[in-house]
Amino acid sequence: MHEETILWHLSNGMTFHGRTLIMTWIVMVVCIIFCLLGVRKLTSGKPGKMQNLLEFIVDLVDGIAQGNLGSAKARVMMPYLLSLITFIFFSNMFGLLPNFTFKVFSILGIEHGKLNEIFGGSSLMSPTADINTTLALALLTFCLIFIMGIRYKGVHYFKHFLEPTPVFALIHVIDLISKPMTLAFRLFGNIFAGEILLGVILMLPGFFVFAGSFMSAVWLAFSIFIGCIQSYVFTVLTTAYIAQAAVSEEH
Amino acid sequence: MGNPIAIDLTLPAQMLAFLILVWILAKFAWKPLLNMMEKRRTGIEESLAQAQAEREQAERIKREYQAEMQKARQEAQEVIARATKVSEDRAAEILAAAREEAEKVKRSAIADIEREKEKALADVRTQIVDLSVSVAERIIRQKLDVNVEAQLVNQFIQEVGDLPC
Repeated sequence: MHEETILWHLSNGMTFHGRTLIMTWIVMVVCIIFCLLGVRKLTSGKPGKMQNLLEFIVDLVDGIAQGNLGSAKARVMMPYLLSLITFIFFSNMFGLLPNFTFKVFSILGIEHGKLNEIFGGSSLMSPTADINTTLALALLTFCLIFIMGIRYKGVHYFKHFLEPTPVFALIHVIDLISKPMTLAFRLFGNIFAGEILLGVILMLPGFFVFAGSFMSAVWLAFSIFIGCIQSYVFTVLTTAYIAQAAVSEEH
Repeated sequence: MGNPIAIDLTLPAQMLAFLILVWILAKFAWKPLLNMMEKRRTGIEESLAQAQAEREQAERIKREYQAEMQKARQEAQEVIARATKVSEDRAAEILAAAREEAEKVKRSAIADIEREKEKALADVRTQIVDLSVSVAERIIRQKLDVNVEAQLVNQFIQEVGDLPC
């Protein structure tokens, strides 16, 4: 079963989700290593394997961004969107990995920052299986909607809240708030549910572990698929929302 | 098991973490990569344009070469025509000169023949006269009666003298 949330307490009573933070940092390092491997031998000639992979991601995101935003705004958004899709993809994959530390922290009795508990489960945890992470990304999207809207439309951006009549302002506000909410909960729900089911399969008792191995493999494969789809969906929707705010309809 | 939807300070921490990630990746990975891809795109465009220009140039050179060839062939044709004409003229000239020369030779030959003929005739006439004179002498010497025969001799002389050459 999904473990009890591991909390880091500050002196003033504030808390952090230690497990989420540790996993996020590891994922960040993985992302950075992955990308740096890709650009290590950067060439405009024949690309290497890793560069090819990165260029595939760039082409994918470029297709999304160019189609929605147009090339000038797409150029501004590209680094953010690329980081977004890379980070979410690796995050989604992370919960599917077995616990490669082999509970070494528990064996050695290291309790600093509750590391023994953080690496105590049978598999790692996706940072995106925590609502805080997905909501953080969604709120950044929310901020970007405003920033890009004001940047490309100026004060005119706020006028659309009153269209076609001021009565619609409430609906516009609900629409605006629902965007990050749905983004956050969609991603969180997909990944969290995947981890729960994986945990449940791994908890099958005794003899059923062998039957569970097959189930686990099927569910892992499906989770990989879900993880890819969700990272893509998050990026596409972020682009679409920004395009809605930043691209004027007269065009 | 607690409520999985628990929002606390992790939220701002994650926002900050992600912004840092975006900054690092943008600076060290995406910017260089995007610039490189842009450079590659412009490079390909440039080489395409260059290839187009070069093909056009080659086309132009080919056309020029063909025109040159055409001109050269025409000139050669003209030279040949001119040479043929000159040689024909020359041949006609030579022929005419030869014919004239032949005519001249023929005329001089005829004149020579004429002269020789007259000379021969004159010789013959002289011999005849001599012969006649000798014959007459003999006749007169043998049986000429001066009175009777004198008329005969004169007549003979007259007749010889009237003989055509």
